[in-house]
Amino acid sequence: MRLHSPIFKLKYFILILISAILLGGSPIRDATENYITSQFEDSISVKMHTLVLDTELKALVQNRVKQRFFRDELYYWTITQKDTTIAYALMDNVLGKSMPITFLVIVGIDGRIIISKVIKYREAYGGEVGNKNWLAQFTHFSDTSDFKVGKNIDGISGATISVNSLAKGIQKIAVLFPFIKDKLN
Amino acid sequence: MKTIFTVVFFGIINMAIAQDEFFQPGSTIGGYGELHWNKANDADGNSTKNTMDFHRFIIYYGYNWTEKWSFKSEVELEHNFVADDHGELELEQAFVNYHAGNWGFQGGVILPTAGLLNEYHEPPLFLSVERPVYSKYIIPTTWFGNGFVFYGNHSGFNFRLALLEDLNGDGIVKDGHIRGGRGKGFKTTGESLTKNFSASYTGINGLRVGGSFTMNEAPTSAIKAETIHTWEYTQTAGTETEDDSDDFWEWADKVKEIEGKDGGSIGVSLFEINAKYDANKIFAVLEYGKSDFKGNNANDFTDFSSSGYYLDMGYNIGDFVNTNKLIPWLRISNVSKNDDDVKKQTDYLRFGLTWWPINDVAFKTDFANVTTDGTTTTEFNLGIGYKF
Repeated sequence: MRLHSPIFKLKYFILILISAILLGGSPIRDATENYITSQFEDSISVKMHTLVLDTELKALVQNRVKQRFFRDELYYWTITQKDTTIAYALMDNVLGKSMPITFLVIVGIDGRIIISKVIKYREAYGGEVGNKNWLAQFTHFSDTSDFKVGKNIDGISGATISVNSLAKGIQKIAVLFPFIKDKLN
Repeated sequence: MKTIFTVVFFGIINMAIAQDEFFQPGSTIGGYGELHWNKANDADGNSTKNTMDFHRFIIYYGYNWTEKWSFKSEVELEHNFVADDHGELELEQAFVNYHAGNWGFQGGVILPTAGLLNEYHEPPLFLSVERPVYSKYIIPTTWFGNGFVFYGNHSGFNFRLALLEDLNGDGIVKDGHIRGGRGKGFKTTGESLTKNFSASYTGINGLRVGGSFTMNEAPTSAIKAETIHTWEYTQTAGTETEDDSDDFWEWADKVKEIEGKDGGSIGVSLFEINAKYDANKIFAVLEYGKSDFKGNNANDFTDFSSSGYYLDMGYNIGDFVNTNKLIPWLRISNVSKNDDDVKKQTDYLRFGLTWWPINDVAFKTDFANVTTDGTTTTEFNLGIGYKF
């Protein structure tokens, strides 16, 4: 079989696809789904989806929060219990001093934040934003809450950039949620 | 078999790609700076200082090769330009960083962890126009040098070990305090290495408490044995009268023998503790530090110690005047460059007002009574600082 033949390419495309299915659980995805499962007492099921952000909606949220979205799409998980959706978990990234901070916000169907979690922090300084106590400040916040650092959200000495960046990132999810809620699977 | 191998191979590649899904190699630029207007009066109210100074201009550049391997640097220009003895151009940080989740390693021009401001000294992070005097003579901020760092964190506790170049013993002898011992990475020695161990806790919202211990045998120069010849034109005969006909002058060789001595060292140990609380509209900082300097065959040196503290207390009234953040504050401080010499011990009573229209820009003003050995002078400062 010639290396550049269409059949050869198709074979390897299928192999990559199969391998991705068999072995391709990404550490971020695994960590996220394990975390979601750990937050709910009874048996739940989680299913991952991708949400492509509408350009106008994206601009609206960005202007309100004064922070850009990391990408044009978000990953989200529906959390269901006995065939009823009880919450959604939305993943996004914000920039720390130089690297992305990957975080997850679990939002109830009423739009209030149930809990937030830093899934991956990649820098030497500022990792304190992953502390449970600090993230717990966002619990019960919604799109109309005041996310201002130094007022409703306490800062962290030595993690100023990460604190300001992540607070806005979580606010973006809260502001976005009412607009997308009906479109989610 | 070949197919299974191929599936496994691509699966591994897929996992590697997935791990870096959000990460992109690339560079980052940042920076900070501050303009100061410093005025001072002596005890009689006469002006002794009135200067405008763009004290610091710093550009941060970083590059991320992978999620774990990155490079970070800061270049600093002090006092606008560099010429003769004016201004400074410094490579304040330049290190390769390996970061693996909750531990890591740095190598290059690094910062030891000593006090709150040595690592986090961007102007919007502290209240006063100038950095606290404590952070100049007790902790020689910004203290940087060639070396290595190992760090880790767990459950809100942070640990850091820095091993860096020796302090300069001759500089400590000359200036009489630790600040004179900074080598700034310029052709420094590594005979005993400066060992800096620090720990901090950040598990409570708004609170940071920590401390550090640093020690080094700072080398001092040897003195070479030599004979110094000084020719002097000297009167060798005659009387002290207006009549100088009997005077006799001749050139004489004045010989001075300098005794040779080996170089020694100054044992430096610095202990400090710090706490900062910035939450619930309260802004409070407390730092205390003490250094001991013990000569070990060091020439022209007498053992001494230095110590100091400062306490900041402020309250955010931004909500009352409908602005982002506005803090009136008070600082009580004592800085003793030499604990045995009252002329080198100074009390500071400083109060001021700092306004952050946005979190990254601060307008500052402060006034201080500065008392040394019973004499009180005054200072008045205005400034603007930023970071991005």
